[in-house]
Amino acid sequence: METRGQRFRHSLVTVWTLAVLVFLYLPTICITLASLTASRYFQFPINKWGLDWWQKTFSSIEIRQLLSTSITIALCVTAIAVTIAFFGALAFARYEWKGRSIYQKLILLPIFFPQSVLGLALLLWFNTLGFSLSWQTAVFAHLVWIIPVVTLVISIQVYSFDPALEEAAFDLGATRWQVLKEVTLPVLFPGLFSGALFAFLLSWGNFPLSLFTTGADTTVPEYLYAKMVAGYTPGVPVLGTVSTVGAAILLIGGYGAILAMRRAKAVE
Amino acid sequence: MAEASPILSLKSVRKMFGAHAAVDSIDLDIAEGEFFTIVGPSGSGKTTMLRMLAGMDTPTSGDILLRGERINDLPANKRPTCMVFQSLALFPHRTVGQNIEFPLKIRGEVPESRKARALQLMDLLRLPQSYYAKNVLKCSGGERQRVALARALAYDPQILFFDEPLSAIDYKLRKTLEKELKDIHRETKKTFVYITHSLEEAMVMSDRIGVMRAGKLVQVGTPHQIYSAPNTRFVSEFVGDVNVLPVSLDTDGRLHSRLTGARLKPPPVPEGFSEGHLVIRPEFLRFLAKAADADNAVSGRLYNEYVLGSRIQYQVRVGEGVFAVEKLRQQAFTGKLDDDVIIGWDAKDAILVTD
Repeated sequence: METRGQRFRHSLVTVWTLAVLVFLYLPTICITLASLTASRYFQFPINKWGLDWWQKTFSSIEIRQLLSTSITIALCVTAIAVTIAFFGALAFARYEWKGRSIYQKLILLPIFFPQSVLGLALLLWFNTLGFSLSWQTAVFAHLVWIIPVVTLVISIQVYSFDPALEEAAFDLGATRWQVLKEVTLPVLFPGLFSGALFAFLLSWGNFPLSLFTTGADTTVPEYLYAKMVAGYTPGVPVLGTVSTVGAAILLIGGYGAILAMRRAKAVE
Repeated sequence: MAEASPILSLKSVRKMFGAHAAVDSIDLDIAEGEFFTIVGPSGSGKTTMLRMLAGMDTPTSGDILLRGERINDLPANKRPTCMVFQSLALFPHRTVGQNIEFPLKIRGEVPESRKARALQLMDLLRLPQSYYAKNVLKCSGGERQRVALARALAYDPQILFFDEPLSAIDYKLRKTLEKELKDIHRETKKTFVYITHSLEEAMVMSDRIGVMRAGKLVQVGTPHQIYSAPNTRFVSEFVGDVNVLPVSLDTDGRLHSRLTGARLKPPPVPEGFSEGHLVIRPEFLRFLAKAADADNAVSGRLYNEYVLGSRIQYQVRVGEGVFAVEKLRQQAFTGKLDDDVIIGWDAKDAILVTD
């Protein structure tokens, strides 16, 4: 039986939790509400509800182009970042080598640079080296910032990796390649998977780096910003909602996939 | 001990880490089918030595010969040897069956023959067949040991190495697994090379034991030789509780105890001995009615007693020194704490060591 004091404390915790959730999610919910207007302008409260802007947004070729650019960049970033960060994480957490501690600090530095400054710096370099700006240069710019993050994420998994596993596989006759394929990659897979999710989502939502480096191409966050500054339509909250919900589904789906894998293993 | 030609020979094997010799000029022959254990405290170089034998490290100098062939630079995956790791290194993403089959899969065997072999090994190691599809992480400590051993045996190695696999297991289970391992050794007739920091563990299982200290092999012999004729104070203390008296040899052939000042009748004195230590095991000490009942006697005070299962150990304080005396429980000493007692031993039961 709970005493009166315990019940009081529990209700306080509940109220506080709810307050935090409201604080975190109310703005996002308002964006969704703003997209459900039939009016041309941003008004609150909404007088006339409608799905017109959702329909208009999805039939727009421009929007499709935007989504395709953002997804292409995010997929390229994910593939390259996970590959490089995997080896980076092995150097970070698995092997003892001279200069490792300097490397560990250097690799984390780009995370702390203000992204707009990093974007500007990259823009200057692309110009100097004579690269014309496009979604490809944006991929490179994203990688500068995202590879360190993904390296960290994968390193966490690598730290809990027992190097004896590789030695044991090697001792049991496996070649270096077989050790990687049969032991290292599968054991580190959860880390690689969450690294990939991070890479995709960070690239998907990135504004400051894209702003400086996409050139004539436009990503979703860039478009949203431009439309907010000039030429607002309720298409902005529609796209904002799609972008947020898409990211959430990816994240929850990814988490669910990992859980399902664990459960499948537990059943065996 | 099997007196066959050596399967594994070490010729002045040395491993340097910087200026420090982790393994220092070791010569050793291990016979075919032998259960050989290397014992030493942590930092004695035993793990480095095992890693060189298994092919995970290369010696700085010297040679390692497998049936007469030099294998110094042969990598671990090309050696017909296999190791059971301290952490066991079971693949956490695999089932019991998949773990055992790993070396067979690597070798390219078909799934049916792999499974047949895995089940056969599980049978040998008393793992229920139903465990075949069980996740290794769901197995208990003892079961994991068996899976690790089954996986190593599946490789069909000529020599099996063990890197303290039982060190993380609780006492009771460890005792069972030690005996089980010795039984497996009999059944498979393979050469086992085991390392541990516990001489007690080594005694139970081994045909021969090598005691290591600071990179060198101090003594190699059967468990019986190591126990009854340790060649140094280090080895004698490694076996368990012993009484060690610093002594010097007087001109009249008796020993002078530097601790109590007593003059003692010595066991056979090694050539050229002038001073060193006299080692007396607690079970060779006994309580005396009068000093003349044994070759040597000292008097002291009964300070405490400890029950060690089948035996009882008594702590007797003699001046500044402390003696441990052990008796079987059925023959427990009837004296009370703080009684004045006389303890003694016969000269032949003590051992003289130089360092």
